[in-house]
Amino acid sequence: MNQKDMLENIVQEVMKQMSGGAPASVNGNTATADNDYPLSEKRADQIKSPTGKVLSEITLDRVMNGEVTADDCKIRPETLEMQAQIAESVGRDAFARNLRRAAELIAVPDERVLEIYNALRPYRSTKAELISIADELENKYKATINGGFVREAAELYDQRGRLRV
Amino acid sequence: MKKSKRFQVLAERDVNKDGFIKEWPEVGLIAMDGPNDPKPSIKVQNGKVVEMDGKKRADFDLLDTFIADYGIELSRAEEVSAIPSVDLAKMLVDVNVSRDEMVKYTIAMTPAKAAEVLGKMNVLEMMMALTKMRPRKTPSNQCHVTNLKDHPVQIAADSAEAALRGFDEHETTVGVVRYAPFNALSLLVGSQVGRPGVLTQCAVEEATELRLGMRGLTAYAETVSVYGTEQVFVDGDDTPWSKAFLASAYASRGLKMRFTSGTGSEVLMGYAEGKSMLYLEARCIYITKAAGVQGLQNGSISCIGVPGAVPSGIRAVLAENVITTMLDLEVASGNDQTFSHSPIRRTARTLMQMIPGTDFIFSGYSATPNYDNMFAGSNFDADDYDDYNIIQRDLKVDGGLRPVTEEEVVKIRNKAAKVLQVVFKELGLTEITDEEVEAATYAHGSKDMPDRNVVEDLKSAQEMMERNITGIDVVKALHNGGYEDVAGHLLNMMKMRVSGDHLHTSAIIDENFHVISAVNDRNDYHGPGTGYQISPERWDQIQNIPNAIDASDFE
Repeated sequence: MNQKDMLENIVQEVMKQMSGGAPASVNGNTATADNDYPLSEKRADQIKSPTGKVLSEITLDRVMNGEVTADDCKIRPETLEMQAQIAESVGRDAFARNLRRAAELIAVPDERVLEIYNALRPYRSTKAELISIADELENKYKATINGGFVREAAELYDQRGRLRV
Repeated sequence: MKKSKRFQVLAERDVNKDGFIKEWPEVGLIAMDGPNDPKPSIKVQNGKVVEMDGKKRADFDLLDTFIADYGIELSRAEEVSAIPSVDLAKMLVDVNVSRDEMVKYTIAMTPAKAAEVLGKMNVLEMMMALTKMRPRKTPSNQCHVTNLKDHPVQIAADSAEAALRGFDEHETTVGVVRYAPFNALSLLVGSQVGRPGVLTQCAVEEATELRLGMRGLTAYAETVSVYGTEQVFVDGDDTPWSKAFLASAYASRGLKMRFTSGTGSEVLMGYAEGKSMLYLEARCIYITKAAGVQGLQNGSISCIGVPGAVPSGIRAVLAENVITTMLDLEVASGNDQTFSHSPIRRTARTLMQMIPGTDFIFSGYSATPNYDNMFAGSNFDADDYDDYNIIQRDLKVDGGLRPVTEEEVVKIRNKAAKVLQVVFKELGLTEITDEEVEAATYAHGSKDMPDRNVVEDLKSAQEMMERNITGIDVVKALHNGGYEDVAGHLLNMMKMRVSGDHLHTSAIIDENFHVISAVNDRNDYHGPGTGYQISPERWDQIQNIPNAIDASDFE
């Protein structure tokens, strides 16, 4: 390893530690407002749809010949994670938490998302029903943050008399 | 008593058609500093709040728990709680305390503390604070595009004109609920004809609104209401957990969203618990923060009649906007629903946000005549465009709009109407006639528009949803119809949701699809000559109203 590479490695290591060991995403670094935002301009070559198309591949010609569909115009969890890191780099921790919950919900189908939302409304669900949704989120969709969130709601709705009786 | 002629004239003035109420704190009819508002306090043990604003955790309701667990930066909470509120108020006004520095204090406050701090400030000081604390450096504006007939062609034409005039966000809603897909589609197409990159929304029931967004027919949502007492929140058919889940659902589909709240809603719905409007609104703002939502539409909104009727009410409305920015949230600062018959009062109310500048000065400037505004009117409307432009010019203030010529407006309205005609045809929706295109090009409002066959429209709108028409289908329809330019703009809007750059705080999109938000356009105001400055080009645009006399004309 030459001196330059060594220095780069050390700097990278130090930067990683400073950011509290958050998951690596852009070339192994944490995404930040100054380096990576907007992703659509600064990381256009790396931002992919869930179907694996990079941004530059989503063109009018490809829409017209059917190569690009509505499914190619969706966000994927890795991208939301980068946006969460960018939010944290400007001190918006609560917003970053929302984006991480959102990243988990990408896997949940549209109709199921709407059903779960309705189930979380007051007097809609029993405690057991909410806990079963929490289990489903955790087991079927690996949505552990959301699962915990629904579990917490079940407990508090119970305490405050907001469950279906 | 013999009648005074002067009092007779005064009695007939517009302002005396408005309703006014004396304070009645026991039921919450008080704007700020209510005698029953809790005294600010916070106690943190082992990283958990055990007491907040005079209440022990055991006595917390759902809202208290949500705020205490997710909404306050606890590392400095006790320290900030100990600082006298008047000192924090002074820091908010002090240009030598930067926004970045100030936010460290403000996000660590409790709701009662924030309300108490604002209670120490007059409106001028609040305006100073708003200038400094709004997240995005560049101010902007949002409009309403609706009409009595839910006429799709008029929506497209009004939206195109509004885009040309400078509105970065457009919001529609419906007269007849089942028109929602058509209204969303017409707004989407019209706005992109007017100015590529405009963000659009269709305000309807929560689940329908999300569904329209998922299809790519809207780009953001804001009518996701939160309230300051648990009873009113539940009466609104939600909890902080359901609303926070909905917020994440939007982000998971690449859609921008903000919450909505406003002073007066709790007293209007009968459960203010004897607290002041601003204290309860502060709780709404903290719930928004706690849910991790990037921003909030507030400034009383549909309840403006209530704070508007009590002493210091319009000051409280400004105060709620300021608290929103203190929590580092995007603010779409009201000025929407009509609250006064008096143009003087309406103008005074709007100057509170227009002069400091906010992320969206209006969260619904009516881009139609008032009779077509389906959000119960707006404080300013299409008939006030020239007044607004001239106030910008008089004060050298950037209110987000610009003067336009009749020629360019007619041209853009005509194009929007024609483009929508083609989109409807290509998608197999109901017919749009040449007569309707012509009428929308030159219309003042829906009174100038031919009636639609409502039954056929509603059937077609329903089919559009059943056939699962998406934004990509609209792109194809535009391309097949010969409007490759608009097709490209719409595809770029669809691509936005792949990167999610516009999910961030205070995001707007410029005509080159470059996102401008509180991430890359952070407000750095710290006194004269700093922060947002009107560029020479922008000033040229603002000052050059078509009806100004040019001395060279006399040579």
